[in-house]
Amino acid sequence: MNFLSLFRLSVVTLRHHKSRSFLTTLGIIIGVMTVITILSLLEGLNRKIKEEFSTLGSSTIYIQKMEWQVGPGRHRLDFEEIRKRPNFTVEDAEALAKLPSIEAAVPSIGKGVGTIKRLGNEAQNCQLNGTAEGGDLTGNWVVAEGRFITREDRLHRRLVCVIGSYIAENLFGAENPLGQTLDVDGHRYFVVGVLEEKGAMFGQTQDNVIIIPVSTYLKYNPLPRGWRAIWGGLSIEALPKPGVVLEKAMEDVEELLRLRRGLRYDQDNDFGLNTQQMIMTALQGITSTLWIVMVGIAAISLIVGGIGIMNIMLVSVAERTREIGIRKAVGARDRDIMIQFLMEAVVLALLGGLIGIIVGIGIARLVSVLVKFLDAASPWWTIALGFGFSAAVGIFFGIYPAQKASKLNPIDAIRYE
Amino acid sequence: MIRLVGLSKVYAGGHVAVEALAGINLEINEGEYVAIMGPSGSGKSTLMHILGCLDVPTSGEYFLKNQEISQYDTDQLASVRNREVGFVFQQYNLLPRLTAAQNVELPLLYSSVPIDPRKEIVAEMLAKVGLGDRGHHRPNELSGGESQRVAIARALANDPAILLADEPTGNLDTKTEEEIMALLDELNEQGRTVIVVTHDDTVAKHARRTLHLLDGRIV
Repeated sequence: MNFLSLFRLSVVTLRHHKSRSFLTTLGIIIGVMTVITILSLLEGLNRKIKEEFSTLGSSTIYIQKMEWQVGPGRHRLDFEEIRKRPNFTVEDAEALAKLPSIEAAVPSIGKGVGTIKRLGNEAQNCQLNGTAEGGDLTGNWVVAEGRFITREDRLHRRLVCVIGSYIAENLFGAENPLGQTLDVDGHRYFVVGVLEEKGAMFGQTQDNVIIIPVSTYLKYNPLPRGWRAIWGGLSIEALPKPGVVLEKAMEDVEELLRLRRGLRYDQDNDFGLNTQQMIMTALQGITSTLWIVMVGIAAISLIVGGIGIMNIMLVSVAERTREIGIRKAVGARDRDIMIQFLMEAVVLALLGGLIGIIVGIGIARLVSVLVKFLDAASPWWTIALGFGFSAAVGIFFGIYPAQKASKLNPIDAIRYE
Repeated sequence: MIRLVGLSKVYAGGHVAVEALAGINLEINEGEYVAIMGPSGSGKSTLMHILGCLDVPTSGEYFLKNQEISQYDTDQLASVRNREVGFVFQQYNLLPRLTAAQNVELPLLYSSVPIDPRKEIVAEMLAKVGLGDRGHHRPNELSGGESQRVAIARALANDPAILLADEPTGNLDTKTEEEIMALLDELNEQGRTVIVVTHDDTVAKHARRTLHLLDGRIV
């Protein structure tokens, strides 16, 4: 018998017991549904994480007093030691910028300045950032109109600013902001540039920035002291040259900073090099842990479903002993009978898989509608996985009943009442 | 065509072993029409099942077309059942969920005949047994005689040299019995070897040679 006629035979046989077949597949349906739903949501989450981080400029190295503490596990840190670490300087940034593997290295500092008002308009939750020429590269900004901060701006501590699209829209509306002034934190700045919209990250807009020369910032804002010195001081953002591997650039930066700080070979770094890669890896670590847990649960459900299939196939073999005998009497070989029953089990499991995939994708879509920042994604491989799992369950749990059917003695089977 | 040498079959049931066949020696030539008779328990059905390769002997030799069948494995026996012998049962043994045509098609499916010749053969076989127009009916829509005709058509599908019929008219009335036996006569006249198991003299009279079985021996 060829594959197609076997498949048709299975479908006909299963349709003869519609409700029994459906109930049998329920375990598979639930198992595959769980897998598909969870995978779709996790995949959506992973994509979201990647997408959000890509707006930052994903290969920028953030050089700060300490490493970001990300991922599971407790960290014991000596904050007093960290607080006392030397501050970064503009000179550090200039030296790093000269490294052959570094495209741009700029000092960076910032603070929240709350609501800014202008002619009856206001923009909330604004962020004042001090940076230098090249800060558009490290911060992944694109200047929509005007220009970014220049070397001259920094050297002359000019009162100029580049504003984010949110500020431009809310404070200037239809007006062209270029050449206008903006009062921020007690000083009046000329707007020399407007940035393109970057969008939100995890629901937080990034377009609420007012970027000024770092020298201007430091003139009016003393470096923070006490525990604020850990995160509030000057940091450096460094962007590797295109084509340079991030790890190589990080090694160069580390070596140069150790040299500049005169660290001996047996002394630990008194600074931290941070990348978005670290956060992504940590978040993906969390999602992959969730993944394993969920796949474990789904696997149990699939095993239960498989046992259900095995059970009903054994019943089916007993019920159809006579049919098996007749088929053997007209020339069916053991393997013909084996394949026939195996095919039935697999079709049953695949049917469950199909329903499970459809329901699973449906649930994932529903969750995406209900939860705002979560977009479920069901790439082809989740569907392939769903079908693969159910086919495997069908084969694994179908083999024993099929084997049993194939080994029946034709004359005993044909006489069976 | 068929040669049995010292064939015996012992059923080891419970404490006592039952000897269904006790050393059968038999030769049947091509084109013969043989009736096997005997009271119930004489071993005639067991003999038939062994001839039809549905069962295997405990000892002795069975040659079919000079091949020693008793040495065959299950796959080879299946192939013999499929191509060399056609079996007709008293109970018809049609698959109830398939149509008459699909039942006739069954042996062809297992011998992997492609679909076009398969349909042709099925139509030809149904016409041969006089059921050319009943192919789409299911067994429960057919009379006993019609069912047995379908079973005969199925047995003939792969054009076997031997047709074995185990009490083929046991469930039929006299008139239908005549029709079925006439069909078997006709098949024998066309050159096919026909072997019929029966306890009915009128059936046995159709055959040209009658064997009597008693307690597992030919008498």
